[in-house]
Formats: sequence, C-alpha cells, structure tokens
Amino acid sequence: MSTISKEHSDRLFWLGRYTERLFITLRSLDKLYDRMIDEKHGYKEFLGYFGLIDTYKDSRDFIRSFLYDESNPNSAAFCLERAYDNGIVLREEISTKTLSFLQMAKDTLYNSQSKANIRLSLLPLKDILYSFWGSVNEHIYDDEIRNIIYIGKTLERLDMYIRMKYPFADVEKEFIRLCKNLHRVPKGTPYRYNTNYLCTVVEVLGTERDYELFSDKAIKSLEHLFEPMEVTV
Amino acid sequence: MTQQNIEQFTKPIGNANEINELLRRYGVKFGIYKNGVFNEQFFPFDPIPRVISSEDFKSIEKGLVQRVNALNEFLFDIYHDKKIVKDGIIPENFIYISKGYLAQCEGITPKNRIYSHISGIDLVQAKDGEWYILEDNLRIPSGASYPLIARELTRIAAPDAFSENEIIDNRNYAKLLKETMDYANCGGISAILTPGRYNAAYFEHSYLAEHTGSVLVQNDELFVEDNILYHRTYSGGKTRIGVLYRRIADEYLDPLNFLPESLIGIPNLMEAYRSGNVGIINAPGNGVADDKGIYYFVPKMIKYYLGEEPILKNAPTYLPFYEEDMKYVMDNLGKLVIKDVAEAGGYGVVFGSDLTMEKLEEFRQTIIAEPRRFIAQEVIDFLDLPILDNGETVMRKADLRAFVLSGETTKVWASGLTRFSRNPDSFVVNSSQGGGFKDTWVLKK
Amino acid sequence: MKTLNFSFATKLTFDDYVHDHSFALRIIPPDTESQKILSCSLNLYPSVITKQTVDAFGNNVTAGYIQGDHRFLDFDIKGIAEVDSSKHSTFLMPCYRYQSKYTVPSEALIKFQNELKEKYDGNAFDKAVYYSDILSEIIEYKKGVTTTATTAAEAFDLRAGVCQDFSHILISLLRMDGIPARYVAGLAFCDGETHSWVEYWTGDHWEGFDPANNCPVNDDYLVISTGRDFRDCAIDRGVMFGRYTQQLQLVRSVLS
Repeated sequence: MSTISKEHSDRLFWLGRYTERLFITLRSLDKLYDRMIDEKHGYKEFLGYFGLIDTYKDSRDFIRSFLYDESNPNSAAFCLERAYDNGIVLREEISTKTLSFLQMAKDTLYNSQSKANIRLSLLPLKDILYSFWGSVNEHIYDDEIRNIIYIGKTLERLDMYIRMKYPFADVEKEFIRLCKNLHRVPKGTPYRYNTNYLCTVVEVLGTERDYELFSDKAIKSLEHLFEPMEVTV
Repeated sequence: MTQQNIEQFTKPIGNANEINELLRRYGVKFGIYKNGVFNEQFFPFDPIPRVISSEDFKSIEKGLVQRVNALNEFLFDIYHDKKIVKDGIIPENFIYISKGYLAQCEGITPKNRIYSHISGIDLVQAKDGEWYILEDNLRIPSGASYPLIARELTRIAAPDAFSENEIIDNRNYAKLLKETMDYANCGGISAILTPGRYNAAYFEHSYLAEHTGSVLVQNDELFVEDNILYHRTYSGGKTRIGVLYRRIADEYLDPLNFLPESLIGIPNLMEAYRSGNVGIINAPGNGVADDKGIYYFVPKMIKYYLGEEPILKNAPTYLPFYEEDMKYVMDNLGKLVIKDVAEAGGYGVVFGSDLTMEKLEEFRQTIIAEPRRFIAQEVIDFLDLPILDNGETVMRKADLRAFVLSGETTKVWASGLTRFSRNPDSFVVNSSQGGGFKDTWVLKK
Repeated sequence: MKTLNFSFATKLTFDDYVHDHSFALRIIPPDTESQKILSCSLNLYPSVITKQTVDAFGNNVTAGYIQGDHRFLDFDIKGIAEVDSSKHSTFLMPCYRYQSKYTVPSEALIKFQNELKEKYDGNAFDKAVYYSDILSEIIEYKKGVTTTATTAAEAFDLRAGVCQDFSHILISLLRMDGIPARYVAGLAFCDGETHSWVEYWTGDHWEGFDPANNCPVNDDYLVISTGRDFRDCAIDRGVMFGRYTQQLQLVRSVLS
C-alpha cells in the first residue's frame, strides 16, 4: 500500500503527538508523586509550565484531574482518548496489534482508578507504551508513513521539553532527533518543514543562553513548522 | 460424524472471560447510537461453538453455490433481457415495485458478469436437522470479521479443542476476499469505502482493509476524473482505484445518480463504473434480488437458470398475490408468520399466533387489500443452541450467516457468523439488540 | 421531416469560489428513430476534459471534474438535427409502467383519476389527449409557483405549474391507467428555455404529447433526454465545495 490521504497523514501526525504527550505526562506525574511525598503542593511548578494556576484542593485532587479527567486537556486520559481517536481510523496502516496497545493502555489507566496504590498500578502503562512504539516499528513497513508518526512524536517531545524547561543538553538532543526525521520528509508533502520557521528554531537552540532567553520564540515557531511556504512572485 | 455426536459439543471452549478479554483487547466492537450518543460496545462472544458436520456442510456448500450462482444469473437477466419475466416465472411488478431495483443500472454489465461478490445467506436449522434459507443478503452483508478474529483468539485460549477435533481453519476469509476483490479489479489499487468511524460496522471495515491490504477510504478522499476513480494522496497526487468494496448503501453511492442529498457518496462514480473503469463490490442494484418478495422465487430461479433442483429449501412461503396461496393464508393465518416486504431488520414481522381474534380479522383485511405487500411463512421449529449464561448452559435461538464469495469460482467460507438471542423468548439475534455470537466449526470429517 | 438548427447555453455563476466540482450534463441530444443529430458541438468554460457515456435511459452524459477554484461554469451546444416525428422508438423499459419519485400520486390525484376513468375510456392516445385537455382546463400555466423539486402531487394541489409539472401530472395519470409513460426534456419552438413533454406507449411504440401546450409533438420538438421523471433528465447536476451560498443559472435556447 503506498497511497495515503491528507486526512490519514494528519491522523498519523496527531497519533504520534498525543501518544508522546501521554508518555511525558505520565512520566512527569510519576516524578511529582515522588516529590509530593515530601512536599504537599509539589505540583505547582508543573502547573506553571502550562500557564495554569492552582485550583486544586490538594495533591490527590491534582493527580486525579491530571490522570483521569477527560475534560482537562492536559490530562493523561485526554491525551489517550485523542491518541485512540486518531489510531482507530488507522488500523490498516498501523495494524490491529499496534492498536491493541492503545486499548490496553485505556483499560490499564481506567482500572487504576479504583486501585489502592495508583502509582503502582500504573507501572505497566509505560511498558504498554514502549510496546506500542515497538509495534509501530515492527508493523509499519512504509517508511513515509512511519516517519509521519515519528515527526509527531519528536515534535511533541521537543515542545514539551522546552515548555517544561528541560536542560539545554536534553533539548538539543531531541532537536537533532526531530531534524533527522524532518529531513526524511519528501518535498511537496504536508509534513515538509517550513524553512523560515525551522531557521528560527535553529537560531534559538544555537546556544544555551539563547535557549534560556528566547524559548517562547522556539515554541511559537514549532507551532507553525508545517505551514506552507509563502510563494513570492 | 453424525448429528448425535455433534450434540455432544456442548462444552465451552476455553474460558469465556479470557476470550472476551482478548476480544476487548483487539477492539472487536460495534458502534451503537443510544439517545443520540455514539457508543462502542463489545460484541459478546459465547464460548460454546456451533459445530457443523462435514456431511452437513458439504450439502449446505453445494446448495449455497447453486443459490448464489442463480441469483447472479437473475441479476444479469433483470438488468438486461428480463427473460424470467417475459417467460412468466416472476410477475413483472415484483421486480419494479421492489425498492432495490435501480433503473439506473439497466444495461450495465459488471466485470465477469458478477453482481453479488459477497453474499451473506442466513440459514436456520430446524429440530429435524433440515437447513432452511431465511434470507439472502446481496447488498453489503456484514459480520465476517467477528468469527475471523474470534478464531484467532479461541486457538490461543483453547489450543486443545483444536488439536483434538478436526476443524477446518477458517482464517482464510481475508484471502478469499482478496481474491474476489482482485478478480473484480479493473486496474488500480483495492479500496474499502467506509462511511466513517461512527458506523456500526467500522471495526469490520478497518479490519478487512488491514487484512486484505486495501486502503480504507472515505468519500472525501476520492474523486472521479475522466471517468476514472482516484484516491487523492496527501502530496497532491492521485492513485487509481481498480476495485471499490463499498460499505455504504446504493442510494448514497453517487449523489449525481442517486440521492442528490447524499454526503457520503462519490459524484460520477456510476459513470466510472458504467465505463468499466472500476469494479464495485457488490454491484449497485442487487437489492432487487434479496427482496422479501423475490425470495419466494429463488427456487424457481434455480430451476429456470440452472435447470437444477434446489438443494437448500426456503422456509415454506406463500404469496397472497397468488389466489391459491391467498386461500391458504386466509385459512391458516393463526399459525403463520407474516412479513411486510418493504420492511427490514426484524421490523414488520407478525406472528399470527400472537394476534387476538379481532386483530387477526383486521390483519386479514389488510392482506386482502394489499396482497403484494406481504409474504407468509410457516413457523420453523428452530433447533436451539446451548449458550453459557452466567455459568449455566441454557438453550437459545440462533441463526447462521454463511458467506459466499464469487470470483473466478463461487466459494463458501467454511465457517460463518452464528448469532444468538440472549433473550429466551426472542427470535431476534441482531447485535444491536444485545445478541451475541459464537465460533462456527466446520468439521473436516 | 424537418432540419433544425439548435443551440443551447447555460451559465452557472456562484457568489464565491468553488472547487472540487464534479458535474454531469445531459445536454447532447441522442440519435433516435425520430431524430438524427447531423452535427453537435459542446463548449465548456472553464475548459475541462470531459468523458461521454450513455446512461440507462439512453441519454448522453457528459461527466467532468474541475479541481481548482472557479466561480462559474458555462456550457453551450450548437448543432443540426433532422427530426421526423412520424417515426417512433419501439424499445420499452418496463420501469416506465410504474410510478417514480416525482409521479407517485397523492390520494387527491388518485381520486381525480378514478373519477375521470369512469367518464372516459379509449386507447393510450385517446387517454393522453383526454387527460391533457382536462389538465389544460384546471391547471394554470404559471411560473414561479413550483420548483424543480415539485412533485406531480404537489403541483396538482396547487393547480398551477410549468411544463415540468404538467408532464409529471400527465405521466402519473397515464401510469395509473397502466400505460407506460416517460418524461422528455428538450427544446421546442415555443420556448426560450428548455421544454418538457411526455411520451406514452401505444402498445408497440412511443408517441409524444406536450401537455403544457395541449398538443401532440411534431417535428419542432428536439429530444435532449428521457427518463422516468425530471430526476433522470436534469440538464446539469453537480457537487462542489466552497463557501458559496447561491448559484445563478441563466439559460438560453434557440431552435430554427
């Protein structure tokens, strides 16, 4: 199979993004769990990354919302539902097996709600997501299709890392990863990068100092990365 | 193997919960709207298989091949010379009053003259062991994907059952389907057209696309140019489609030829089809052959087109349209089941035994006033099948949808979809009504 | 027999750009027993590649697809035909015996036909003339009260309509009598637009009758398409995408 529609290419991209956002959210919440053992409101800094204010009764309330509340667009449940929504229409591209990991992830997340130790019962979720990516690698033969998912994944990771003020070294590594994927995109297809915006990101991520000062600019440019190039006559 | 031996197969295969858990994991779902909200439900699986002896299957197989071949001949005839009408076998108005007849298809000959590529024929077995045809589905019969994936999982959950019993492997459905699609292909890739993920059978559409290596498409990804059907690719190019397995109804298929308000169709698809540039599975216009009124004539078609005696029986059916039948129906209304030919999906079915004397008389007058609208059938004494209900084995009504694929030759899939009713008093086996399904075993010997 | 020069032009204009526009035109008159098309040329703007097929009813279909943005679709035909209304087509599709979407009668129309039936009997020609006489008395020819979506039953209730409505009512009445009847779209001298009339089956061939003018069809009528009703004969049908809210159609036809 070598024909792919615009609709499906967008679905692939967002499948990659939401699955990665889910993964990073889960990992962050896991770290916060640990921090909150010592610090009651240890989640405040995390809220700040996304420009949110603390409206939660306590850390329990916060965790509940960020894990299970589908109306919270930063929650794990929200990301997983969106990933599933995109995945379900991609069965013939990504395979029933790959899709089954999203179903398992949904079941695992949902079932953890009623468990006494949520953190413990969520441990298999990360394994399931690793398996999801293994299955993506294994079952998608077409490089062009697979690469679109990876563009979504690496872009999301870079975006999240910058927002969450990850160390420059980590961000730089992820940026290189994204660039490698971007260069695989054939010209004239929707996920071909816009040179202007990519240049801005390259500038900002050129030095640690620029990264610290101008990270907002990088985030903005990433948002526009796939806008069609303006043609000047 | 005799019927007696088969009745020993009343034990569950594997653990019901385990298998249902696996089915959940692989997303075996159907969509359903309740109070306007879309929900996906899992299709409950019953672990006691239906077992069909090799001997029984051989006769069913022969009978189904014969029936589907005759139906394909009938469709060609109706859209061309109409010999069967001219020769007085079927009254003309039965054809042209049928909603499934599409005048727009007159004169079109699909590739290899095949109209019904995938036929879903519903059968029931009576207590005396005899199989009866209940209904032909020649438009877009669904359901093959469920037993297909279920077998994959029951073999994991209960390997011994399969090594101890010689059961024909039914996992060749996708291969049969692919061969059928390839045979209907007019040059280009294969595609499955779905109305979208909110369709009840979306799981099946995507599963069959995956397993036949077809592209799953929606109408907005397709267009017809120069009377050729194309898939619009994300890079702005186009890929020619040679065969379209469409899972949307005829009326919605092409807004320029059928319902103009259809938002899920492809404009000018019929022009591409008429020009022989794309195969459509199943052919548009097939509804004329699976109409309840036409059902009565299928045994006559078999004799007329093939010169053979029908191998499989229809449920004994009467057409009040004929004087002799009308007399029988009037005299026996209380024990018959009456079906309104215009209705489908279990609607418009009345059991005479359920009616009060008063209602019976009223209904009698309705039939006299509109004889063409109804068919009457003898109530068949179904052979109930065991199912597991909360750990207990109970007997329930069940039917069998057999799948017949017409390509280079006509083949019957050695399996089928066995649906059962969970309600002890109900004959309705539809998934939307809470029914479940079983694995269907066809024995090798 | 008569030689006719015909021309016909339609201009479709949209109030905003449209794209992915698929269309099917039924505008090229077919060769039949009663008419020979000696020449016919079709022009389309914007210029686009089209394909010709013949549909189930014997009509010429011109199908095309315009992907890019455009605000209009113009097409015109010009040609010469030889018309001989004394010759007749003898091929009957049985579906013409049965009511179709636009001709399904209402209770009122059934009652009306029943009353007429008691008063009059005769062959298909007599009936067509009789029904048409009655219709011309009780139905007012009036523009603007009906649309292309108006059915026979609706027009009958209004007691008013244009040629399309007269045709649908007459077809409905004839079919109730078991006489096969079909809808014809074409060009006639009386009209600056496209015209419509009816053909009925005499038992061995088709004859034309124009209920809007209450007269039999002669050599001044050029058939463009035939079908069960208007639905099968629409001059142009299209599906397009865009933010347009309305389309304006200008039609001009000349027969000489």
